Amino acid sequence: MSAVAAQAVSAAAPPSGPLHHRIAWHLRHDPKRELWLAWGALVVFYNIFFPVFFIVAQVQPPPQPTWDLATQVHWFHERHLGIPVGFGVIFAISGMIATNNALIAYSMRRMSVSRAFGYSYLLIYSFSAVPGMLLLNIALVVGTLRPERDPEAIGWLYDFAFLSFDGTMGVFLIGSLIWMLAILLDKNRVFPKWFGYLNLCNALTEVVVAPCWIFRRGVLAWNGQIAWWLDMVVFGIYQVTFIVMLFRMIQREDFADGPLPDRVRQKAVGQ
Amino acid sequence: MSDVGGVDAAPRRGAPRRTDGERILLWTLPMTVIIWIGCFVLFPGFNPPMSPSLSAEQVAAFYRDPAHLPQIRYSMIVFNWFGVCLVPVLTLIVLQIRRMAHRTPIFSYAMLGCVAGGPTLFLVANVCWLLAAFRPERSPELTQLLNDFGWITFTIVVPFLIGQSVILALAIYFDDQPQPIFSKWVAHFNLLVAAALVPAAFVGVSLTGPLAWDGFLTFWVKNLAIAVWIIVMGVVLGQAIYRERAENRPHGDELASA
Repeated sequence: MSAVAAQAVSAAAPPSGPLHHRIAWHLRHDPKRELWLAWGALVVFYNIFFPVFFIVAQVQPPPQPTWDLATQVHWFHERHLGIPVGFGVIFAISGMIATNNALIAYSMRRMSVSRAFGYSYLLIYSFSAVPGMLLLNIALVVGTLRPERDPEAIGWLYDFAFLSFDGTMGVFLIGSLIWMLAILLDKNRVFPKWFGYLNLCNALTEVVVAPCWIFRRGVLAWNGQIAWWLDMVVFGIYQVTFIVMLFRMIQREDFADGPLPDRVRQKAVGQ
Repeated sequence: MSDVGGVDAAPRRGAPRRTDGERILLWTLPMTVIIWIGCFVLFPGFNPPMSPSLSAEQVAAFYRDPAHLPQIRYSMIVFNWFGVCLVPVLTLIVLQIRRMAHRTPIFSYAMLGCVAGGPTLFLVANVCWLLAAFRPERSPELTQLLNDFGWITFTIVVPFLIGQSVILALAIYFDDQPQPIFSKWVAHFNLLVAAALVPAAFVGVSLTGPLAWDGFLTFWVKNLAIAVWIIVMGVVLGQAIYRERAENRPHGDELASA
């Protein structure tokens, strides 16, 4: 299998010409097109996700948990169009997350570890979208639906949205630990070991966010320096890193079972 | 790389995978469709779809109506029982994607990731409607809140359905073999269904018009697209499963006589 695959990989010689011709060629002939497509979907998703949450809907950085009901109602009122339109885009494209999770599960499948790792990650992260994001979206859309709604009910939606978003921890905690363990155990050199420990950093952010369920003000509240700002910085670094890591993995992929070859060596084989 | 398609798919087809019981799972689909249509007709909130413009008192009156209460409860209890019945059928589609001439299992993984999302969101809506009917004497404001939450969740159940349609379409486009598992028109059809589901994602924009939760695009087009998808995919999935059994039968006989 590996010899055939190596041949197929090395046979890939994209034509020169306009960009859309080259993209069309890759979609038809590139042996790694399935992986590149999943990676592209991942990049597109996050390039839409962040602008929607920060600019269109303006629900991040999160508002204060200490605001009184009148301020919370005003907050919803200011976003009466941004939230339903922005989250409409999120509802339309969040199925793309599945290809993201599939690609990460595939990275574990390429490792020397049991298939259980990839499947566990896939199931946990597929499930995570509902409590970790979609419930926030739904609660905020319901909150903007009727400005005349009882402020007590709007306040409940406000808490529900931000606590379900920040306070959904276990799925990301255990999911990151599974990826970490797979990377540390792997003998196929799919990812460098330090990236395994970066997964641990991401998992730890889910631990330090837990006090957001208890404190309404201060560094540990849902908008605090630890529960939000520190976590966002770590997540940002983690995310950019894993996008690059997955890119490199696809570049090095040889569709064999053994250690993943280095990029340089693969080029030599290609020639 | 034992379970990938493409260049190393041929030896794998020599040893057919176990398919016993798949036809039973497939034939649960017509039963599911009948039960779902029955519940859909029974739930008074769907006939006609409740207007989002109703006041809190009117919504409370809907749940307090003695004629409505048993219909809401029984339809939603049965929906709660059978709402997840699409999962085995979607899993059969995952297994058919595995048979496609792909080099990696990315598409079957991604499809598997979408399978449970739709039923999970639907069950949230289901619980909201049942909760609203549990204590109809509750303050009308709270009943309206539960009703809004139920309707918005029911309407924006689409992310995973759009995801699985697009993933399935791409999987079919990439299935480069002389006799593909599904025809190319099934891929075009899935993209069309995905496009028909997109407007429902914007249900929060308006309480009236085609995007309101009782509107033409968000209620009728979305639910009709789901219904047509279930019927068409049921038929083409059935054809693929029966064709696979027919292809594998000679092998089974040889093994049995060996």
